[in-house]
Amino acid sequence: MNDHYPALLIISPLLFAFLVSGMAWIRKGLCYPLALVGSGLCTWFSVRLLADVLQKGVVQYRLGGWETPWGIGYHVDTLNGMVLAVVSVLAFINLVATRRSVSAEFPEKEGAFYTLYLLFIVGLVGMVVTGDLFNLYVLLEVASLTSYALIALGGPRAPLASLNYLFMGTIGGCFYLLGVGYLYIMTGSLNMADVASLLPGIYSSTAIWAAFTFCMVGIGIKMAFFPLHGWLPNAYTFAPSSVSSLMAPLMTKVMVYVMIRLMLSVFTIDFTFSVLSLGTAMVWLSILAIVTGALLALAQKNLKRMFCYIIVSEIGYMVGGAWLGNAAGMTGAILHILNDALMTICLFLTAANVHYRISGLELHQLRGLFHRMPLTMACFVAAGLSIIGVPPTCGFFSKWYLITGALQAGQYGFVAALLFSSLVNVILFFRVIEISYYGDMQHPHGHGSPAGPRTEAPATMLAPLLIVSAGLVIIGVYTGTIVTTVIDPIIPATLVR
Amino acid sequence: MKAAGLIIVLLTGGLLLYATQDFPPWGAPDSPASTHVSPRYLQKATEETAVPNIVTAVLADYRGFDTMFETTVIFCAGIGCFVLLRIFRQKPEDRYYRHIATEITLHIKGGRLPNKSREFERIDTLWTPYDLVIKTVCRILAPFIQLFALYVIAHGHHSPGGGFQGGVILGASIILIAISHNMRTAIARISEKVDNLLMAVGVFIYAGIGAVCVMLGAAFLDYGNLSVILFADEIMARSHGILGVEIGVGITVMAVMISIYNNLASAGKQDEGL
Repeated sequence: MNDHYPALLIISPLLFAFLVSGMAWIRKGLCYPLALVGSGLCTWFSVRLLADVLQKGVVQYRLGGWETPWGIGYHVDTLNGMVLAVVSVLAFINLVATRRSVSAEFPEKEGAFYTLYLLFIVGLVGMVVTGDLFNLYVLLEVASLTSYALIALGGPRAPLASLNYLFMGTIGGCFYLLGVGYLYIMTGSLNMADVASLLPGIYSSTAIWAAFTFCMVGIGIKMAFFPLHGWLPNAYTFAPSSVSSLMAPLMTKVMVYVMIRLMLSVFTIDFTFSVLSLGTAMVWLSILAIVTGALLALAQKNLKRMFCYIIVSEIGYMVGGAWLGNAAGMTGAILHILNDALMTICLFLTAANVHYRISGLELHQLRGLFHRMPLTMACFVAAGLSIIGVPPTCGFFSKWYLITGALQAGQYGFVAALLFSSLVNVILFFRVIEISYYGDMQHPHGHGSPAGPRTEAPATMLAPLLIVSAGLVIIGVYTGTIVTTVIDPIIPATLVR
Repeated sequence: MKAAGLIIVLLTGGLLLYATQDFPPWGAPDSPASTHVSPRYLQKATEETAVPNIVTAVLADYRGFDTMFETTVIFCAGIGCFVLLRIFRQKPEDRYYRHIATEITLHIKGGRLPNKSREFERIDTLWTPYDLVIKTVCRILAPFIQLFALYVIAHGHHSPGGGFQGGVILGASIILIAISHNMRTAIARISEKVDNLLMAVGVFIYAGIGAVCVMLGAAFLDYGNLSVILFADEIMARSHGILGVEIGVGITVMAVMISIYNNLASAGKQDEGL
């Protein structure tokens, strides 16, 4: 069974998705437990796989038993081992955490909802685990289609936001597919490792440059990299809370992973930095992303919308870090995938809990929230500190690597942008904290006493949030171990140390 | 904004065209696409999988994993339409019934008459005249269309065809019934519940065959190992495995076609429609 983890971690949620879909018509009550089992198995297998990879090195898996350039191969090293574990664990936690809001929001379509949820996990996990360019595209489509449907389930404005996302996402997918098509015409192969070995002879060809550009633009749209981020704020704001806390932390981060995978394992560092010399331009674009994201976040009056623009800004961190062209920057970018996924899910789960109790996320509605939901707000503060980058939390360490990398590369603009966005984050979070701590209760009970009744979210929603926010500190403390065991082995030797 | 869009489109198109100048000539025998991976498919597919149609061998065996997810994409589309369009809570509506013996039409507010009755037949609110020729022709044609669909699925090993095409034809036969009679007649043949179950069953067959291979100790979708339970040698087992997954694809594609049609045409009510 040990050899089959790479396949099992994707077929278990897949098979359970179909079981859930069928069960919705037979016994509705079983849908949620089945979804839980499917997602749980996926988590179990991916954590075991990560342990295997750390112990024995790269794991290969051949689907259908065919040798790789002819069949489809899975290639798991520590980079995707880590991302796999993050995706599956967070998806599982979110499944537990949002059970109540799901059954409150769409009681009749629970079965179909959990089917889509599991298939979304399949799409993300499959994109991360695969070593085949076209297989990645197919799974991107699975993840995208399910996310369009899930987002459109939200309030009255959600379908339009989802349609907009559908247009943008389809264009992104097409660009990626065009890039893959060009690569196939030039190399005759779809396997990532095979393409990487065939490319060096034809690096100078314009078709390869075009393939690279199209892949990057396609992925850029899907990860909401700054000028292409237009779809994200509406889509994630209007999505149901259970969906936005699944998608916001995972979808964009998986796309960042895909970008880094293409840079490292398909086009190789050599091509990306020496032949193309796009590094500086990309770093400047991400500086723009960071600054604009931060400024737009400052302009928002809705909590979830503010988080969305923080994501846009954070994507800039990761893209910029990866394109700095040195080991520290790449380490920071990869570490930030993990950290940002944790911070974002923490923020969005807070939003889900608050929404569950006060059904509104406008900033002025948050008054007195510290008295009503002290634990939830404590987690919010933890996530805020992490995003600002205060030492014991994990956000500090990835920022540290990013700044070190930027200084090494002489990209002082990137350093300035990082510091600027940190300062803006301070303002953003302390504004919310001020409103919800010092602001009066909206409907004070008793005679001017600030303490209203404690209406903390139910335990099933609160416990996962507490676990995630504890994770922020734990990951922060163990950053050193993570960097040496997980990230260092996959940084290519050709990168400047 | 429009001008900016135009410029971007022109730039992108220009870049695409500019990059094609490095392409190998169209159909050149020494181009990478025809020298690297494909020769092996052409030379060995038939002896390795016992499938004369190499396209089928590549789609369902060598790259069967992709095809499984393509089927999943179709399943997602079906579920997505269901989730977004299906309306469960309905206000009681006006309904029309025809007394079969006298052909007198009743207009009833709130829909109180039973759906099935010997004396009354329900007709759509947007009633279209009864057309004997169309109904009869479509009813006679439907079984032959379905037979052809089954042939397309089963003969995919030898001729162009397979699960996707066969499934579309199967679905089209039911949609033809819905168009020529009315939606209720089609739903009486395949109810919504059965249709939605079939949607999941089809992909489940596909992924399940792959999972059986894992249980037998081989890689996922390695049909060769099915020889143990199929009483055939490994190569024939591959051929049978391909047929199995094609059947799964056919079922899902058919059910998704019907489900999407019903939900779209009835605006999610699955009650009456085109």
